[in-house]
Amino acid sequence: MRQCRVVVTGIGVVTPIGTGRECFWTNLLAGRSGIGPVRSFDTSAYSVHCGAEVHDFQSEPYLSNLDAAHLGRASQFAIAGARLALADANLEIASLDLKRAGVSMGTTSGEPREVERFDNLFISKKLERVGPEFLALYPSHVIAAHIARELQFAGINIMIPTACAAGNYAIAHAFDVLRAGRADLMLAGGSDSFSRITYTGFAQLGAIAPEICQPFDRHRKGMIPGEGSGVLVLEPLAAATRRGARIYAEITGYGLSCDAHHMTAAHPNGDGAVRAMQKALEQSAIGPQDVSYISAHGTGTSTNDRLETLAVKRLFGDAAYRIPMSSIKSMLGHTMGAASAIEAAVCALALFHDRIPPTINLKQPDPDCDLDYVPNSAREHTVRVAMNNAYAFGGNNASLVLRKHESLN
Amino acid sequence: MRNRVVITGVGVVSSLGNSPASLHSSLCSGRRALRPIEHFSTEGLGCPLGGEIPSFDAQKYLGRKNLRPLDRTSRLVASAAQLALNDSQWSESMRNEEEVGLVLGTMFCSVHTISEFDRRALEVGPAYASPMDFSNTVINAAAGQTAIMHNLRGINSTISTGLTSGLQAIAYATDVIRSGRARAILAGGAEEMCFESFYGFDRAGLLCRSDEHAGDFPIPFDKRRNGFALGEGAALLMLENLHFARERGARPLAEIVGHGFGYDCSQGRDEVSAVDAIGSSIRHALNDAFIGPHEIDCLSASANGSYTGDRQEARGVFAGLNGQTRKLPITAIKSMLGETLGASGPIQAVVLLETMRDGVLPGIKSLEEIDDDFAFELISADNRESDFETGLINSAGFDGHCCSLVLSRTD
Repeated sequence: MRQCRVVVTGIGVVTPIGTGRECFWTNLLAGRSGIGPVRSFDTSAYSVHCGAEVHDFQSEPYLSNLDAAHLGRASQFAIAGARLALADANLEIASLDLKRAGVSMGTTSGEPREVERFDNLFISKKLERVGPEFLALYPSHVIAAHIARELQFAGINIMIPTACAAGNYAIAHAFDVLRAGRADLMLAGGSDSFSRITYTGFAQLGAIAPEICQPFDRHRKGMIPGEGSGVLVLEPLAAATRRGARIYAEITGYGLSCDAHHMTAAHPNGDGAVRAMQKALEQSAIGPQDVSYISAHGTGTSTNDRLETLAVKRLFGDAAYRIPMSSIKSMLGHTMGAASAIEAAVCALALFHDRIPPTINLKQPDPDCDLDYVPNSAREHTVRVAMNNAYAFGGNNASLVLRKHESLN
Repeated sequence: MRNRVVITGVGVVSSLGNSPASLHSSLCSGRRALRPIEHFSTEGLGCPLGGEIPSFDAQKYLGRKNLRPLDRTSRLVASAAQLALNDSQWSESMRNEEEVGLVLGTMFCSVHTISEFDRRALEVGPAYASPMDFSNTVINAAAGQTAIMHNLRGINSTISTGLTSGLQAIAYATDVIRSGRARAILAGGAEEMCFESFYGFDRAGLLCRSDEHAGDFPIPFDKRRNGFALGEGAALLMLENLHFARERGARPLAEIVGHGFGYDCSQGRDEVSAVDAIGSSIRHALNDAFIGPHEIDCLSASANGSYTGDRQEARGVFAGLNGQTRKLPITAIKSMLGETLGASGPIQAVVLLETMRDGVLPGIKSLEEIDDDFAFELISADNRESDFETGLINSAGFDGHCCSLVLSRTD
């Protein structure tokens, strides 16, 4: 059986710098930052106070079947992303075979605010106020389930909670599902909400920067926790062509690997990262020299940026210096499980528009980080092949390769 | 051409045994793991029962390895992984040479770890929350910790689809091997017994109102059923590409010939839609295996004692197997183990493998009378002897997810 080719035909994002593809892409190319003082909880007991939150988010416009009062924040972001992506793909739900329409989503924390509420009530000895809603709203799989219930999608429905690489994992799985002919259309991406638990943890790891996120800069001080969602519409090329869809890019392959080294620190040689990139290129039948853009994991922590640079140099050799590699986390902060899904959307848009978003706040080069990080301003650049890298706790590495659509013909 | 996928080893840690043989023999002798919870107080809760693993000690499986960074879920998974690696003879030196993956299904990973981390920060201040505990608050923590402990450098993924998580993880890993992306993957699921998830299920009204003093328990498919009891455990299967398994001289226990999926958007509220999702899941699995309903020799049901869930499964199985259910031997091991959520499907798989080897399908403990409209005849409290070539495993969640798996004996 010949496996179909899979293309991206719709993009929906909810991010700290804007909701919806157009607004997000404009702000991204303009180098706007979504980082500011945390509003969702009191940070006075912490030594850091900044975050990348989505302000003034309204879920009602995206809800026709479900009620916002019965949805956690990550589910609301996810549904908004899904609705925006379908609209962007110019798809009417009525036109779909719902049994063959599926959802594959990733997350770091699921719906952490539900467990935070549980904990608040536990400590104030009012646990009896926790009712059936805890089980209905909390477990991470409800994010994908809520999208499906809102849209009445009865196809494959899966949650892949592989932390900060989860978006790439979920897209990779959707790609496999479509290639195996198990669905006609997949919504794939990631979603996470700003969480006290996540913030506390990164603060305790000493990983949060005080004000700005400056990946690859010599004076970088860490990452900034964020929130949001990114959802892509994926469909077989033939179906997309038949309906005259706008095709942003083709997904050609992915690679997954595990460091099996440390829960929170990357492998000192970038070993797992190299294997993930290698597999993604091999499956895509694309050589390292043909990659024209790398969307970096680029969290802004001292170790991540150094080791990521090392891994790219190990795999790409001299070509590494010619390939622009930027980190949009400089603007969005780290949107956790949503991050690599939003970054996959950025790769698709870079391929479509031949524009590359910048790494902002990059003032002083670090001798250990000596690649072309597209400092401070967006760039026009012919992008034929883009690679999206993501690394997570647990040593979970995921690389995705996307290719320009025209170049196929 | 897709690669064929075989099971070359098994690791299980459960409340009724830590080997396929001991678990199967416990089930066949009608032992029940459900008793008053010892882990935490159930005062004020509706259900006092659970299937805990008595005095679980990971050191027993993992020897002198440093267990300090691992929470209960991670310890269950790392222990099951050690057993599966031993059983399939994937030595440490082989793992240094070749990538072995790990795909873990879990509904919660450890909501207890997450909640404790948060509560400590709330009670004594964020500066006292432990960074080591934080690394265990991610839902992929158990898969990550286990990969570190056993040097599993291949694909490492965590799947969450509620109580079908574990079976879905096996389906996911099967596809990865079929497509040639990996040669060997440990796949399965795990769930720990903890207060936080127990409380959630109790408050949702899903747990049985039975207690051991009254002498009644959750009984799958029985007319008297009124809810399920929670359990815990971990089970991992070593899945390998048949070709490479043969090449290295491994002994295949069985082949995974098909899997299927269904999702019910009504989350069980609409009977027709719920039954349809279970039926489609089974049909997809049969189609994927290129077999017909008459080729299924036995069913390991998802049924756990839930009043509506069990009924929907009975009807879904009837629909999925085209009405050919009367002569189908059926077991429902959650009658004795309780509902182990993410671990449940993989534990069912382990028991089915042992059933194929041993020729005895465990009965459903205490089952006396099924609903009048369930089209099952070979279902009872008694064990059933037969030659099982091909078995069907069902996993159907209380909130819409369904997954089915078909296993066949290898020549």
